[in-house]
Amino acid sequence: MTAIELGLWSLPVLLGMIFLRAPIGLAMLLCGLGGMWLITGSPNMMMSKLKSEVFSTFSSYSLSIIPIFLLMGHFAGISGMSRSLFKAAEAWLGHYKGGTAMAAIGASAGFGSICGSSLATAATMGQVALPELRRAGYSGGLSTATLAAGGTLGILIPPSVVLVIYAMLTEQNIAKLFLAAFVPGLLAALGYLLVIAIYVRLFPNSATSMPRMPLRQRFGAIIDVWPVMIIFIAVVGGIYTGVFTPTEGASVGAVGTGLVAWASGQLNLAKLQEAILATASGTAMIFFIVLGASFFNAFLALSQVPQTISGYVVAQGFAPFTVLAIILVLYLLLGCLMDSLSMILLTIPIFFPVMLSLDFGMSQEHMAIWFGILVLIAVEVGMITPPVGMNLFVINSMDRDTPIKETYKAVVYFVASDLVRIVVLVVFPSITLFLIP
Amino acid sequence: MQRMAGTLSYFSAIIGGIVLLALTLLTCVSIMGRALSGLLPDAGFGPIFGDYEIVEAAIAFSIFCFLPLCQFTAGHATVDIFTNALSRPINRALLALWETAMALASALILWRLYVGMLGKFNNGETSFLLQFPTWWAYAACVLPAAILVFVTIWSASDRFIALLTGKDQRGPIAGATH
Repeated sequence: MTAIELGLWSLPVLLGMIFLRAPIGLAMLLCGLGGMWLITGSPNMMMSKLKSEVFSTFSSYSLSIIPIFLLMGHFAGISGMSRSLFKAAEAWLGHYKGGTAMAAIGASAGFGSICGSSLATAATMGQVALPELRRAGYSGGLSTATLAAGGTLGILIPPSVVLVIYAMLTEQNIAKLFLAAFVPGLLAALGYLLVIAIYVRLFPNSATSMPRMPLRQRFGAIIDVWPVMIIFIAVVGGIYTGVFTPTEGASVGAVGTGLVAWASGQLNLAKLQEAILATASGTAMIFFIVLGASFFNAFLALSQVPQTISGYVVAQGFAPFTVLAIILVLYLLLGCLMDSLSMILLTIPIFFPVMLSLDFGMSQEHMAIWFGILVLIAVEVGMITPPVGMNLFVINSMDRDTPIKETYKAVVYFVASDLVRIVVLVVFPSITLFLIP
Repeated sequence: MQRMAGTLSYFSAIIGGIVLLALTLLTCVSIMGRALSGLLPDAGFGPIFGDYEIVEAAIAFSIFCFLPLCQFTAGHATVDIFTNALSRPINRALLALWETAMALASALILWRLYVGMLGKFNNGETSFLLQFPTWWAYAACVLPAAILVFVTIWSASDRFIALLTGKDQRGPIAGATH
């Protein structure tokens, strides 16, 4: 077999292993090592690569941001900030029909600004908002779907673990990616608010509203969320203006969030241990996939599959936007099966060279940022698409009275809003790029 | 063996977490030093010398320390929508297969890490700023990598017991967490 053939065959083999429930990182590692062996005809290359590559993959300054962001998210979870965010959002939105659900979206967006993970946001906000929604008489379907969709804001609104990985794979500036994700993230939150407003008109029995709060109380509630605002501005602002490196920004955020948690009296030794163990598990899971991907992608590069595919696409003369549409649809489909990080680590090394070879009428850097945000949104839709969206399970398992079918039925409206947003961002790249110099 | 695997992975994760916490504090101190040196140039403040190098060396150790826990709690990301349709015995066989592969891969990683450490020891490579020998950072990772091998061997044998006896000792997955 030629190198190209080996590279192409490795893809179905890899997917086969993954679909037979091999841990995704392990499957990529084994395919990468085996592929290198077959291509070079001897184990020498993979053996010598293993000597330093495992250590250097873990010893990466730019990826050290990931465990620190995870720690920050877990500190935020125990700090009680989720409750004050929810109360503040409810003070402003609660008097609308469906207002408590809208408040859950607003609070998820706020929590997303200090948490880089989708499941953590869904789980944290779920604990706070789900009981309140049910007590206020919201239907189980709307309540669970709202919180599952709100969870995706955790990763859309910077900081975002997925964007850190994308930045590493495509050698882009993480600060610019965070900035670019900001407006699409806000659009996501607005879209979800709109979905709730429409949903409660279609199904008037699914929601209630609260009495309007006086302005003084509303501003009082806003003041309670100042730690969140300060941490967000310090972290994302500091990273963007270049005051901090991303890792330094994350450290400031983690220490700041830890201090807030400690000051709130919630951070005792048992909670600290819980936060450390959760960070450890999440970090290990992510880095094991990153490790597997680094070997698999080294093998793919050796086989020249990425260049061959992008050469083919250019030679065929497909319209750039057709190719982009196909890639995004592939992400949406794959997102129904696989977690977002694995998907990005697996596909970006193949799709990104294709995108680079096409002319979208913008600079390569702008294209890379715009594509990154589109991919981020497309893979996150996978977190809430029935039947296997992870957020749906996490939230649904918190509400015993709601069958998962009810959650599925209601979440379809949120998925629709995601799809509309993707189309809008594809058609108007400047929404994503206008902040980027 | 299960208790030992659990205890080892727990302590390993806690130690890695403490190192991670220390790194965030060190980074904050370094930032403060840098800020103060700008405000009071003559007061002797400054960033911590070589802080990037410390982060790079220590974060690798932390991550190696975190891996056993993820293995012990079956926390690795998988796709289980297809295998859910298969029978329990087939699922047990698949788990035994993959966890054996995981044990072999971990052992390979440990062995190559050790060889890599010897290489760095022999060529006397040091870090750029702090001039500490690179093999120190490798050596620190050997112990958690060995714990990982132990936990994967326990995990694989546990899956084989489940396959042979038809009794699951624990659930197959914990699910992806991000």
